Amino acid sequence: MTTTVGRYIGQSVKRREDPRLLTGHGRYVDDVQDAGTLHVAFVRSNVARGRITELDVSEARALPGVEAVYTADDLNPMIQQYWASMMGPRIEMGGESVYPPVSVLAPGDVRYVGDPIALVIATSRYIAEDAADLVVVDVEPQRPVLGLREPITNTDLVHPETDSNVSQTMPLPEIPEIEALFANAPHVVTRTFAGARATNVPMEPRGLTVHYDRYRNEMLIRAATQSVHEIKAFAARLTGVPESNVRAVADDVGGGFGQKMMVMREEAAVIMAAFKLGSSPVKWIEDRRENLMASNQARSEEGDLTFAVDAEGHIMAVKCNFFEEVGAYPPSAGATAMLAIGVFTGPYKIPIIIPGCTAVYTNTVGKSAYRGPWALETIFREQMMDHVAREIGMDPIEFRRINIIQPDDLPFKTATEMTLENITPSETLEQVVEMLDVDSFRAEQARAKAEGRLLGLGIGGYVEPSAIAFGVLNSDPAVMTMDVSGKVQVRLGTGSHGHSIETTIAQVVATHLGCDIDDVAVIQGDTATSPMGPGTGGSRTAVIAGGAAQTASIEMREKLVRIAAQLLEASPDDLEVNGGVVSVKGTPQAAIPFAQLAMTAHMAPDMLPEGMGPGLEVIARYRPPTEFTWSNATHGCVVEVDRETGMVDIKRYIVSEDCGQMINPMVVEGQIAGGVAQGIGGVLFEDMAYDSDGNPLATTFLDYLLPSAPEMPDFEYGHVESMSNTLGGYKGMGEGGAIASPPAVANAINDALAQIGVPALTRFPFGPSQIIDAINAG
Amino acid sequence: MKPSKFHYHAPATIGDAVGLLGAHADEAKVLAGGQSLVPMMSLRLATFGHLVDLNKVDGLAGIERSNGHVRIGALTRQATAEHDTTVASDVPMMAKALPHIGHFQIRNRGTVGGSIAHADPASELPAVALALDATLEAAGPGGERQIAAADFFEGTWQTALAEDEILTAVRFPVWGAASGFAVEEVARRHGDFAICGAVCGVELDGDAIVRAAIGLFGVGPTPVRSTLAEQALIAGGAGSDLADIARQAADPLDPSDDIHASGAYRKQIAAVVVRRALTKAIEEARS
Ligand SMILES: Cc1cc2nc3c(=O)[nH]c(=O)nc-3n(C[C@H](O)[C@H](O)[C@H](O)COP(=O)(O)OP(=O)(O)OC[C@H]3O[C@@H](n4cnc5c(N)ncnc54)[C@H](O)[C@@H]3O)c2cc1C
Repeated sequence: MTTTVGRYIGQSVKRREDPRLLTGHGRYVDDVQDAGTLHVAFVRSNVARGRITELDVSEARALPGVEAVYTADDLNPMIQQYWASMMGPRIEMGGESVYPPVSVLAPGDVRYVGDPIALVIATSRYIAEDAADLVVVDVEPQRPVLGLREPITNTDLVHPETDSNVSQTMPLPEIPEIEALFANAPHVVTRTFAGARATNVPMEPRGLTVHYDRYRNEMLIRAATQSVHEIKAFAARLTGVPESNVRAVADDVGGGFGQKMMVMREEAAVIMAAFKLGSSPVKWIEDRRENLMASNQARSEEGDLTFAVDAEGHIMAVKCNFFEEVGAYPPSAGATAMLAIGVFTGPYKIPIIIPGCTAVYTNTVGKSAYRGPWALETIFREQMMDHVAREIGMDPIEFRRINIIQPDDLPFKTATEMTLENITPSETLEQVVEMLDVDSFRAEQARAKAEGRLLGLGIGGYVEPSAIAFGVLNSDPAVMTMDVSGKVQVRLGTGSHGHSIETTIAQVVATHLGCDIDDVAVIQGDTATSPMGPGTGGSRTAVIAGGAAQTASIEMREKLVRIAAQLLEASPDDLEVNGGVVSVKGTPQAAIPFAQLAMTAHMAPDMLPEGMGPGLEVIARYRPPTEFTWSNATHGCVVEVDRETGMVDIKRYIVSEDCGQMINPMVVEGQIAGGVAQGIGGVLFEDMAYDSDGNPLATTFLDYLLPSAPEMPDFEYGHVESMSNTLGGYKGMGEGGAIASPPAVANAINDALAQIGVPALTRFPFGPSQIIDAINAG
Repeated sequence: MKPSKFHYHAPATIGDAVGLLGAHADEAKVLAGGQSLVPMMSLRLATFGHLVDLNKVDGLAGIERSNGHVRIGALTRQATAEHDTTVASDVPMMAKALPHIGHFQIRNRGTVGGSIAHADPASELPAVALALDATLEAAGPGGERQIAAADFFEGTWQTALAEDEILTAVRFPVWGAASGFAVEEVARRHGDFAICGAVCGVELDGDAIVRAAIGLFGVGPTPVRSTLAEQALIAGGAGSDLADIARQAADPLDPSDDIHASGAYRKQIAAVVVRRALTKAIEEARS
């Protein structure tokens, strides 16, 4: 029996999703209009911290068209359990993880601007918003808790239920031998870096329709979610409706980037409200202002880094102390620095790491996953690599070369006890150096400088801990069935919110099953038809769901081959599968199409091989051999900085990526491009700033600046394909684009500015105003 | 983001429109392209009981040249003006400013009059009107009146128009053949409102500058005309130290901070955009 691997895998097959999505025929939550649907609008706090002194909903309740107005007293006491599968139960429920206090509506006090105080249900969103305006709320403002470090000691508390604003901490240890190492090191460089608060901004904001039918005790949820299984489990815990009676469906989902991985308070409130109402479908479509003001945010992080370096430029030891704010109500723990510490050493041989981290609650929107939740490690480390190189008088590329993990170092055990294997950081670095043609760039840079123009070059490298596989994330299922007609359906626990899964998994199945891609249907996003899986996120789907689909395909093919062998009176070893036909090698006329085999399995079980049961169903589940599947990349960026205006023009952007076996290079490059765009945004444009009263300053797209097409350079791609140890040789790469691009852009800007003696910027965003401030100061 | 309830009126004549504004007083608002008004209503930053839509009113759109002026009807779409040959040849500063307004989709709906009546301090067209000494034509209950651009812009989103007045057209004087114009602005992204920008024009007679216009936007509550710098430029001629002229234009400014840039940045950059625009304008006038 020979296989046909490579027929679809590795090809840039066009996305099957595109015809409907690009012509506006997707089916998103708001596109489904069930009869009798009611609409939700939230009354939200416009004060960051304060006590609610008056809350009167009587006028709102009286408005014609209003079905109900709920406040904390109506919904909070009904909550049964409130925890996310990824983090496990709360302490009081026998678990260990750290969560903020439970409430779906503000419990007597407000804790951030946007905090939902009341929930209005009406016959239309217009009326719901009119009624929301009629709710009388009076808040006695208190001084908000803000910042990353100040809240550690602040005795004003975000959550009065706790005794400190610190949500998680691991103090930086002081170890005498290490202090001595730093004291005697030839070079010691210390810097503090800061990210700019950002938010995910999916094109489709959050939204859900919840229909609880009290007579059947059944709940149907349609949601813009990354994980139907998570919202199903969450709703069951929240309300006490048996999980078997809850069904969650996500058709097309317009992006998530982590924002739709965890269930957030508004979604929980809508589930509770629909449960309490017990009759009509209740729909909440988050509008853009709500999404910017009250959906989870990230990247409000700082890092104090100290590197000790020997005389030749080898990194001897690093200290890193991270600070992050998790806002008031992160949907899970929020904090990500622990994971960042785990992978901080990245692609380098750093023998010693002394880590610390502290996360604090603040009176701002909760922190949650945003594409590369641990990205601070690379964003800060890769900037630090340039700062150190500059300070010790070494070229940043040379400094990286000296420290980077080489092929013969593998498998490499990091200072944080992670085992890196099947990665190619030095190969991707050299590929970028070659594509950039660094020597001629440096010559061009000098010529430009002579004309008064500032060009700069920056590099960013990382190792991505893709396909995290522990806890609920351990594995993914694939259930495959073949119809009488010989077509297959593969049901996955994943969800597609821009990932091309319908295309790429079909490529995997068609390749390993040996059929035409058009004969493969990929079904996901409905708990009634898809087996339990943790959803799509964490760069896992190709690796883990791909492995499951491959396993199922091979098992199905083996079954078909056995049936064919019986019918052809041949040995299975003499058969091959191609284009949906099983044939005898070398005798193509002795062949049976899948349809005939399927008909036999479904309709003529007596003709099946001895011991084989009727039907064609395969249940497979794949758990990768290691908890992380490592991928890696190097980014290179060339910018021109207008020294008079501080405007940055990205001239070239190069990514060399190793994600193992590529299923679909076009999709890989699309993932890279999207991630890089977000990373560029994080440096140059996006800043979800709060003022000193805790007011968010960027609640519309007028102020929250997403990068748009004209700001994007043409991306250039290089690929290194080294196989992982997973089934298909795949490595996840969905987040890396967003992780390595911020430092590449930042380093390029600082490289440009260094030519005129401007000290390097360290705090994002690097907007024109900040760049001119730096030039003026330098 | 749903507006609160309002009554919608679509009058066919200016008289009817003015009548509706009078009848509903401060409850009423004029709707032109809707590119600024509709978002404000959807965000409930503004609520009006009555919208008076000008889009069905006869004779409010159109571009014509007469008596050394180009007259642009208030309802003329920004995109129409942008691609109009009369505007391109006779009011080049306008033609150069228009592509900086948002994106083409916005200019397809947004109107010339709407942009000027809205009077956003970071808008290009108010600065063009001010720099070029445009005349604004308005219709109200008492008939028509003409307002000099210098008297029109009173503050952020505030103009000399009364609540029951409609801007009907804007008239630009046509400059001589030896003129040059340039628009320079710094915006965070393509299509964004400018952090700061300059519109400049010069008319030459040999090396002498016989007419100069320097307008700035994004630097205060209204567009700013730099009369002193214009005079210095006229006194110094085409060989003037343009950096020095630009500094004179920027010196009196006192812009404020916002999330996109500090006031100090705006002031510093004002001198840059004026110098760059003047350099280009003089170059164009010479060619
Ligand atoms: C994403 C985006 C980006 C933008 N970028 C820019 C930019 O870079 N530069 C820029 O200048 N503008 C920009 N704009 C605004 C745009 O130019 C608007 O078109 C313009 O400000 C208003 O014109 P309008 O015809 O749409 O007026 P409307 O939105 O209909 O009205 C605006 C205001 O003017 C009043 N009004 C309108 N017409 C009249 C009239 N004839 N008489 C009396 N009052 C009237 C209305 O009552 C209202 O108060 C942007 C808009 C968007 C949505």
